[in-house]
Amino acid sequence: MSLWDRTPERRRATAWPEAAATAAAEPAAGPAAGPAAGPADEGGGLRPRTLYRGVSGVDRGPVPMPAGQSDGLRDPMARVFFQRDHWPMTLEEVLDGLTRAGELPTQSVYLISEAGQIPPDETPGLRRDLRFAVSRAAPGKDPDLLVSSDPGSVFLQVAAWDPVAQVFNYYMRISPAWVWTGDSWSSMAPESRGKGCFDSHVNGSVVMKELKQPWSNWQSMSATIQLAPDDPLRDNPLHGQVIGAERLELTVKGLVSRWTAARLSAVVDDGMVTHPDHLLRQLFTTTTVNLASTSTQSATVASGGRDLSLPLGFWLNADALLNDLGLPVSTATVPSAPTSLYADSLQALGFRLEEQVSDFSQPGDTFFAFVVPEAAYEDNDVVRQLVEKNLVPAGFAACALMVDFTNPVFSPVRAHLMRYVPTAPVPVSTWCDDIAAAVAAAARTLPADSPEAEFARNWALPEADWRGVFAQRVDVYLEKVAARLRTASGFDEFTRLAESRRRMFKEMRLNEFALTLPTTDIPADAPRLRMHEDGTVAVVTTGGSP
Amino acid sequence: MTTINAYGPPGRLTDLDDVGTKAWHVFINDSVDQAIAGPDPAEVLHDSPRPQFYNLTRTDTATDAVQSAVTWTAFPNRLRSAVSDRQRWQRADASRDVQDEYCEWSVTRDGTGRITRVTFTCEGPEYWDVLAQTSPEKALDLYRAHIDPAVRKSDLFGPNGRYVRRNQWNDSTTQGAMHLIQQSNTLGAEIELAAAATIRRVIGGRELTGAQELIACGKYGVPDRNSDPHIGEVVNAVARQKADIALSDPVGIYFDDLATDGWSAPDGSDPKSFWTVERGAADFPVRAVYEVPADRDFAVGDITIGGRPIEFGAQIADFVTVKLMATACRLGRSEVQPRTSCVELAAGDDVEPGAFSPAAFSAHGYLGTHPDQASRSTRLVA
Repeated sequence: MSLWDRTPERRRATAWPEAAATAAAEPAAGPAAGPAAGPADEGGGLRPRTLYRGVSGVDRGPVPMPAGQSDGLRDPMARVFFQRDHWPMTLEEVLDGLTRAGELPTQSVYLISEAGQIPPDETPGLRRDLRFAVSRAAPGKDPDLLVSSDPGSVFLQVAAWDPVAQVFNYYMRISPAWVWTGDSWSSMAPESRGKGCFDSHVNGSVVMKELKQPWSNWQSMSATIQLAPDDPLRDNPLHGQVIGAERLELTVKGLVSRWTAARLSAVVDDGMVTHPDHLLRQLFTTTTVNLASTSTQSATVASGGRDLSLPLGFWLNADALLNDLGLPVSTATVPSAPTSLYADSLQALGFRLEEQVSDFSQPGDTFFAFVVPEAAYEDNDVVRQLVEKNLVPAGFAACALMVDFTNPVFSPVRAHLMRYVPTAPVPVSTWCDDIAAAVAAAARTLPADSPEAEFARNWALPEADWRGVFAQRVDVYLEKVAARLRTASGFDEFTRLAESRRRMFKEMRLNEFALTLPTTDIPADAPRLRMHEDGTVAVVTTGGSP
Repeated sequence: MTTINAYGPPGRLTDLDDVGTKAWHVFINDSVDQAIAGPDPAEVLHDSPRPQFYNLTRTDTATDAVQSAVTWTAFPNRLRSAVSDRQRWQRADASRDVQDEYCEWSVTRDGTGRITRVTFTCEGPEYWDVLAQTSPEKALDLYRAHIDPAVRKSDLFGPNGRYVRRNQWNDSTTQGAMHLIQQSNTLGAEIELAAAATIRRVIGGRELTGAQELIACGKYGVPDRNSDPHIGEVVNAVARQKADIALSDPVGIYFDDLATDGWSAPDGSDPKSFWTVERGAADFPVRAVYEVPADRDFAVGDITIGGRPIEFGAQIADFVTVKLMATACRLGRSEVQPRTSCVELAAGDDVEPGAFSPAAFSAHGYLGTHPDQASRSTRLVA
């Protein structure tokens, strides 16, 4: 187990089997609890007033960062604190230290809790796991520092932008020291990819899983986190500063794009693209996801009420295909279902919220109905900027995304095409043509329903036609699913498909909290499902995303 | 322990003369009083009175008072059912009638169609009724200063001398926006829903807390707006802390902020620097313009958001937040008991948005305002 996973000074990941066991063994610390005690590294306690480095998969344990490396860090955390021999141990000390230094004075505070909409007075045994996210920015600038912590600073993690290296540096406090756990490039390095903090910061940028309205679990203009009348958080000055997550969405999108831009500048050199596979896996595969949902409070859904519009990202990668690549679809509204079908599905499939470590169970769906994984903003942003910078033709990106487009996430069909993406440097001028030619050549000897053949058919469309042709396919597909969504059998299939994708998400380390998604009576080992272009749902018969 | 002598003009604007200033106070004062009283209980059940809502001129604000902003996004939530950003932006830019988040805007383009200026307003129409009736020349001057020098007095006033809110200079998304005209965007609506939301609801033994279940039960606004459910939820959360609640003086809707995360100007300058407040005090802006100064060699349409050029005013509205200010005091001291029923008409029909019952609800009219223009609760939208 890595340092990142082993330290008690991290979030209580109730969805992780090993972490859940740890969490269950911990005393029920209240919001005011202090940092957990105990050695965090294999050799015993860390030395105070020391910056360590501990990149999971690279460093065997936290080791004092060599001066040559620490002196080169130019992010605000390093400049304001570590290089001045200041060692804040709490969230408040970090924020106050920045203020005293006159750095990044613009502060925004956000609040999240997966249990935030469960009435506290009805569930006294359920831990709330409230966390703050705090951004700090220079006046008129996007934030350069994000802090994630809980009201008692049990854990304290920082993402800080280094304007010289053009990366986010990631830090975590392991009392009584701080540990640099890597920078954005660490997420790309094979030895550290997906490990430590990069199990969530998968591609090196900041993360907000529930990025869109209604920003499930966050305090926002769509929902206010409930506190007990005597919750000490009410007296916490930071709580008084909490603003809606609608603002954090804008911040996170801006910061993701900042890193994407920096990354693309760095990987294209002298007409060559280094690691083309690192870029195009964000086109062909699902490197991570965001979570989308309806904006409807599930408990208010009643038979005969207004129709329930399911998240558009459930049906297709609309952000990439419609918004970024501009397919001119004529469909005017998101498919919606009669509420009775949704209400019936909750009963029929035994929807409930469960957190086993707290022995908590409550019938029904998540607070906002129908949470599903959708294509990640950070994947789409890479594609968008590749196209915008003329590194990838829009048609190539569209042809790729239209392969199995009815399965916007976890598509083994699309992922299959990664085998045609080189790993060695390739020329910017021809790399996409070369990949397309290789796929098309392979398609000639493969069945018509192979991923290669589907891509080849897309690629064969004239430049002037592909937008219209793809838009028409999307329109026809949306018309079919909109019709099926209003039938009992169709809604049942789509509900099972959604649950299949939720199970895929639950296998990711990004799934930290048991209350993020509902539990159902559908077996955990039920076959994976996929959507067809005719709006029917079937079992997946091929492998998984790499 | 204090009261205020009078409600001041929104945004601390200084347009009104003495008569107008007093008239404005009367309008807000009466609106607050009527909102406290609530609808006639003989016709609307379980919605009156609202004893946790109070009038700042009549009831003390205690020393434990805290003031909070309730903020929401200016882009209309009702348009989010579109399948693409372009669709929803086009729809939002097409008509003021869909700009229903207490913020409306108008877009100016150059000969090539490039956006050069977007004007945003959150000024309530009632203020302009008062201003136009008490200082018609001032109203005309403001139209000429902010909309077009060619505005004539006859453009703003009908044959009977009454001010026309939705006049030719204030009824489109292209020719200027002087103040709010969308049917639900009134200060009367703001006051009414804030008051109605102070009623706590315990239904089936469970106290309602969610924004959607509260507005469905209290029926104090339009459920698919960003604003109404959120305002109601926040107000009700304070009410559940057994506090008394008032809308802060000056009562109004204000711009909270323009976020510019991910924006980029061609010359690298700060995109937020092109956001200029034109009316309202620093803490209470009611009119703002997004426009690049003439000495720059680019325009608004050349600025990008997330890599995409600004082609619609609605793209900016995605980043604009508006707010109201509320005051809470006597925390933990209210003895008002929750109601155990939802709002319903005495006749037995459920109250739905659109079920306008003029006899049952206060019209919040002022100074002989024509009934068609009387401020209405958003629940009364026809």
